[in-house]
Amino acid sequence: MSEVILEARNIFLSFHGVAALTDVSFRVNKGEIFSIIGPNGAGKTCMMNCINGLYKPQKGKLFFKGKDITGMPPHRRATLGLSRTFQKIELFGGMTVLDNIRLGRHMHIRTGLLASSVYWGRNSREEITHRKFIEEEIIDLLEIEAVRGEVTGMLPYGLQKRIELARALALQPDVILLDEPLAGLNLEEVEDMARFIIDINEDQRWKVTCVLVEHDMGVVMDLSDRVMTLNFGVKIAEGTPQEVQENPEVIKAYLGEEEDLYATRR
Amino acid sequence: MSYLPCGTYFESYLEEQKWWRTPFIKGKMILMLVLLVALPWLIPKDWVSVVCNVNYYILAALGVQLLIGYCGQITLGHAAFVAVGAYCSAMMVLFLPWPGFMVENGLAYPLSVLCAGFMAGFWSVLFGLPSARVKGFYLIMTTMAAQFITVPLVITQYVSRIGGRGHYFQLPPGTIKIGPVEIGTDSALDLGRLGIWDFDADTKVYYWSLFLVLLCLLAMGNLVRSKVGRAWVAIRDNDIAAETMGVDIIWYKLLAFFVAGFFAGIAGAFYASSIAFVSPEHYGWEFSLIWVGVILIGGVGSIQGLVFGSAFFVIIIEVLQRLLGYLSEGFEQSFPTLGVVLMKFVFFRDTAFGLAIILFLIYEPNGLAYRYWQLKNYFNLWPFSYTGKGH
Repeated sequence: MSEVILEARNIFLSFHGVAALTDVSFRVNKGEIFSIIGPNGAGKTCMMNCINGLYKPQKGKLFFKGKDITGMPPHRRATLGLSRTFQKIELFGGMTVLDNIRLGRHMHIRTGLLASSVYWGRNSREEITHRKFIEEEIIDLLEIEAVRGEVTGMLPYGLQKRIELARALALQPDVILLDEPLAGLNLEEVEDMARFIIDINEDQRWKVTCVLVEHDMGVVMDLSDRVMTLNFGVKIAEGTPQEVQENPEVIKAYLGEEEDLYATRR
Repeated sequence: MSYLPCGTYFESYLEEQKWWRTPFIKGKMILMLVLLVALPWLIPKDWVSVVCNVNYYILAALGVQLLIGYCGQITLGHAAFVAVGAYCSAMMVLFLPWPGFMVENGLAYPLSVLCAGFMAGFWSVLFGLPSARVKGFYLIMTTMAAQFITVPLVITQYVSRIGGRGHYFQLPPGTIKIGPVEIGTDSALDLGRLGIWDFDADTKVYYWSLFLVLLCLLAMGNLVRSKVGRAWVAIRDNDIAAETMGVDIIWYKLLAFFVAGFFAGIAGAFYASSIAFVSPEHYGWEFSLIWVGVILIGGVGSIQGLVFGSAFFVIIIEVLQRLLGYLSEGFEQSFPTLGVVLMKFVFFRDTAFGLAIILFLIYEPNGLAYRYWQLKNYFNLWPFSYTGKGH
């Protein structure tokens, strides 16, 4: 259980002198749900983008499955088994749900340019095997059968979030970065999404390690194995949900000083 | 995908991913193929060359559709790649020391078409390289640079000097031969037991263009529904997400430029053979614009739209020209002054195209293909126009 799958060492990221992340280190163990919490602007999404390769940290190193991935472009990291969803939905709006998920299979499909232009025999068979995987493993798991032929741009927000998860899963990743998967969902959808996260984390079929960024504390504390707290780009706490909840610095960052407490809470 | 008629179910994934999914569609497409083959006998002789022109526009705008409609890389220099294809093919046929058997059996020209495709493809990749760094407006400028570097400079000043024939030159009759068939001349064709058939030059060019169009559209249609095409559409819709999903976006952008250039090269090689003549004037920058207009009218991101747009443009222009011609002839006898005015309008026929683009962008930005899609849905869903889910 304690095998480290993702490690960040002393990550330092700044935008034109404004420090977004300062000396952040953490380890994610294989098979756990690791949450990153913090107030708005704490650098949670920056951390995700660093892990994913969209931002290049100025200092520090990232290791994924023992490999140094610091300088790798995002698509190479994806082929290693690192997938993600986005805070603001980043689906391919003009494609159908099925094609979106099929794109997640991109790196598993071997057909080249010439074979693709023929679509006969091997290519056709390959498409069918992947279709079968998508239909039976992903669409079935995430309960989006009814919309598989729809164009994603037209779908409601909650479903789009779910399709993004489906697309990320289609990669068959080892680690999945979930950037606020519950933001903007209603209660029912939040419960569904939490169930899916537990499913993909615990199901023998998937066993995906999850790195979760989320504001919904109830869900975070229920789901997570370990929680890391960031404040203004600095790591202030790490531990089990219990430990973090009792940490005075976290309370200070989230709820303000003792005397402000009554003024800010409803 | 349009809605299928009620009661159409698929039992396997194979059935669903077929090109022609229901017997009705199959019948419709076979009928269309038969009509296409019989077309030279169904329409007046002087319209065959117009249809050839439609096919040329389809081939040439196919790359534009790929780049703009599928990959989201706006290009305004596609005529350059068509020119590269045309010159490559023509010069290979004329100046290369082909072995005798290849010329006799008509292998030289088909081989040169393929080479033209590759040549234009690589030329296109060269100008697609900036797409790794720049997007949108800036990419438009770099592709325009392709046009202005290639046609007025490289081709006019350097390439057309090879062989000392001047800027434009003719392909003598008999040089363009596909198998036993000579393109560009009237000749009888011995079809063995079927007897000897007379084909005029236009008809032969028509069949050659039909072959190329069907082949290229089939390849394109297959590409966009497999891995490569999905990666292109993903780059169009959201390049950051595409990259995080494992798509090497620079590689796929360059691949899009290569394939677009390849189609353009084939279009150029075809055009050179169809008029047996090459000249830089036929590949001016206005053609790059026209082909973008063609896909705007037809529908961006749709292969059907490309066909509709090309047909619309070429046929509307032809009809307008002929109509104005007849009118001015008729008027000239009764109202001499008015006839002259109408004659002047013949030269403003491109205005009609400009007007068409504006009207389409305002009233039907999704193009003719979308209208056709709506029409098909209307008939498929009639009389119960509500739909369930699915496609």
